[in-house]
Amino acid sequence: MSATENAKAVLRRLTAASATERILISFAALVLAVLVGAVIILVSGRITTCQTAATTLFGTGFCYDPVEVYLVLFNGALGEPFLLNDPALFNPGWNPLNFGLALTLKETTLLIFTGLSVAVSFRAGLFNIGTQGQLVLGGLATALFSFFVAPALPSGLVGGLVLIPLAVIVGALVGGLYGAIPGALKAYADANEVITTIMLNFIAAQIAFVLVSEFFSNPDSQVVETTPLPGWATLLPVAFPQGGDFSILALAFGLALVVGVWFLLEQTSFGYDLRTSGEQPEAAEYGGVDAKRTTVTSMFLSGALGGMGGAIWVLMVMGKWQAGVPALGFDGITVSILAGNNPFGVVPAALLFGTLKSGSLAVQFGTGVPKQLVGVLRGLIILFVAMPEFFRMLGSAIDLEPDRETVATDGGALGGDDE
Amino acid sequence: MSTAVHLDEITKRFPGVVANDDVDLTVERGTVHALLGENGAGKTTLMNILYGLYEPTEGTVHVDGRARDFDSPADAIDAGIGMIHQHFMLVDPMTVAENIVLGNEPRKWFGTTVDRERARQEVIDLSNRYGFDVDPDDAIEDVSVGVQQRVEILKALYRGADILILDEPTAVLTPQEVEELFRVFEELTAQGKTIIFISHKLGEAMHAADDITVLRNGKNVGTVKADETSNEELAELMVGREVLLEPKAEPQEPGDEVLAVRNLSAEDNRGIPAVSDVSFDIREGEVFGVAGVDGNGQSQLVEAITGLRTPTEGSISYKGRDVTDASRRSRIDDGMAYIPEDRHERGLVMDFDLVQNGILGSQHSPTFAADGRIHWSDARDHAERIIDEYDVRPPHADADAESFSGGNQQKFIVGREFEREPDLVVATHPTRGVDIGAMEFIHERLLDLRAEGKAVLLVSSKLDEVQGLSDRLGVMHDGELMDIVDPRNTTEEEIGLLMAGERPDADATDAEPPVGDAK
Repeated sequence: MSATENAKAVLRRLTAASATERILISFAALVLAVLVGAVIILVSGRITTCQTAATTLFGTGFCYDPVEVYLVLFNGALGEPFLLNDPALFNPGWNPLNFGLALTLKETTLLIFTGLSVAVSFRAGLFNIGTQGQLVLGGLATALFSFFVAPALPSGLVGGLVLIPLAVIVGALVGGLYGAIPGALKAYADANEVITTIMLNFIAAQIAFVLVSEFFSNPDSQVVETTPLPGWATLLPVAFPQGGDFSILALAFGLALVVGVWFLLEQTSFGYDLRTSGEQPEAAEYGGVDAKRTTVTSMFLSGALGGMGGAIWVLMVMGKWQAGVPALGFDGITVSILAGNNPFGVVPAALLFGTLKSGSLAVQFGTGVPKQLVGVLRGLIILFVAMPEFFRMLGSAIDLEPDRETVATDGGALGGDDE
Repeated sequence: MSTAVHLDEITKRFPGVVANDDVDLTVERGTVHALLGENGAGKTTLMNILYGLYEPTEGTVHVDGRARDFDSPADAIDAGIGMIHQHFMLVDPMTVAENIVLGNEPRKWFGTTVDRERARQEVIDLSNRYGFDVDPDDAIEDVSVGVQQRVEILKALYRGADILILDEPTAVLTPQEVEELFRVFEELTAQGKTIIFISHKLGEAMHAADDITVLRNGKNVGTVKADETSNEELAELMVGREVLLEPKAEPQEPGDEVLAVRNLSAEDNRGIPAVSDVSFDIREGEVFGVAGVDGNGQSQLVEAITGLRTPTEGSISYKGRDVTDASRRSRIDDGMAYIPEDRHERGLVMDFDLVQNGILGSQHSPTFAADGRIHWSDARDHAERIIDEYDVRPPHADADAESFSGGNQQKFIVGREFEREPDLVVATHPTRGVDIGAMEFIHERLLDLRAEGKAVLLVSSKLDEVQGLSDRLGVMHDGELMDIVDPRNTTEEEIGLLMAGERPDADATDAEPPVGDAK
């Protein structure tokens, strides 16, 4: 078996688990990651030096207190609803529509798009690692389209209502077409999509860089970026007065897409074709599924979702395209795996990673613990989610094994072949 | 003769199920004993108790006249019992000898190192003693399934087994390998070993066993001597009612041509010619059978007809239209039903439940999907109808296909394809792995379809099946259609010669006789 075949087998194993089992495993992974993360934070706190110990355990002082780190992380991600060192505990000045929460929801929104993108391809049995590239080009297309079309439209609400949806569609189309390339390469030239999508990420990043730096750069800026769009052409933070680059409209759109993708996968004939191809290509062929067309269409769809992620990044976060696009596409892979490639699972998974991301800033400012340590926590979660077998063993050791039906071979009477 | 195994009033209950109900079983030393029964009759459970995998709820196990209480297979192995499961437990990249000694390796240098040379020699001695034809140095992945099975038997013998239990040993073998296995049985019993084998095939039990015990619904319904019973008696014991063993098609005048295959050639996956210049046609209300030893191009022929393989030459016309290059989907939409050879790879999506599997192939048909949206409630009704009508057990539409036994998976596929309201049914091995009650039912339904004027292409390696059901019978050998004969006026021997590649006019003296499946 080749490495990719192995990877696919692991992926199938991961997603074969039942929904309940998945939730249990994800939760257990989270708990275990928190515990192991605590140990790592403690150890890092021994290695570094500080004036006063943050916590003392077994007569030894540690510079970082893991409990504090987690509290600050969580508190920061919600915009500090709690006063950690105050007996009153609840912060009377807390407003749910605050900057910290906006940051969390911003990340969550973006990860919903990329998580969905990855989930669609994984469900089709296609290992699309190229969401990042699709997002980069989709975002660029959105930025350029908006930049060139904006002058022709009336500025203000009306212009925004016309321009923003169009810009998102353009981003989706470009991302989709860029995703369809590895799809077509796989369908018609038998090129392994893992390799092609990884390589196309580099190509996308470089093409975008050259295009912007050579042809569409902002003359007033030293960085490689496009000219900022007028405010009315972007998604403004309606409900969050403190800013934070979050638009509730984008989140609503993302959640609508979650339902849309679920509907497509579970309720339509096309979704049936896609899932069958992903589960068992030979059976799909037997059932009259056109494997080549399904591959290309699935990759287009996946790319389009990635492209929309790029469009939202440009319209909601940046207001322009700028080189050095954050690795939202790669984070989408982890979100999708944590979600078991289930569209509804993508929402809590994205929320979790959004929380970790925005909370890590609070950790850095509030405790002096480097935010990279929070990154370690993210890595640990994925590590543990990727080993469901470990948790199954743990479950059966403490007799939590769900009543799994015995596979009835011939006389496996457990299968219920009784009269 | 002494008694090797005596199971005394064994009862085994699982939550909600009584798998074995007060079963007595006595097996004499040095005999072959067949444990016969339909799927789910409790045969494997009973043998798992003897092998120490399960503990009986009630009753005792006696081996060599002593009452035993096995906690695990290790205890059973110590008592001289070996079991060969349906799925072999061999390490593919390792050699035959390494697999046989695995876990009990002879050692040298104070037990620090495996003595490979001695292991090899011991394996050679062992296989010579029982006349086994295995090369100790072959890697398992390079040898046939039949040889792998012999390696499993040798492994049990190497561990000192006197009593061998084989679970459905013939399920994975070709007819030739089955003959070879039965020869091994004779050799083993001649040397005093005792063999218990599980089967649901009457012919096999009659052919290879000295005594036959029939289980039905977990109960022992009778032990008979193989040479004092008949197929009919065994079938009745197994099913609990009289069974029509020989399907009989009423003569009927066929209608218009449905399928015409002309000069068809096709290659297999490796690009080697597998079908060459095959021509035949099938008309309404006609069953066209294809007989032949497995692997003589039947699979590729069927795939070309059903749209899963592009022929290299020739044409296929279906209902008067040329469909040589038509897509699989268009053929399904045009009323072509297909029971595939490989139910795990093609016929079912193993991780889908039966509701989803019930619409495989119909996911775009207006019956279940309008405007691209699937009506899951209709799909559920459909699956439940199939489950009900084709007696799929357990009757759980929500259970994954994977959780059903092979026979029940097959019944579900047959049901799905027959209920498609097809014009042409392509059925490859439609009764493979199903018990005789279900076999009878599938045969009846096939003949009903014929009576309704449908065309049927029936491919089977069971000669009695194709011969009994077909109106005309094509015999394939090495990719060629040797001849098309009238199965009612042709003897089994004549068909056998064609299967072996001998044309009637050629010199037939040195032809190898064919080996039928259930003969």
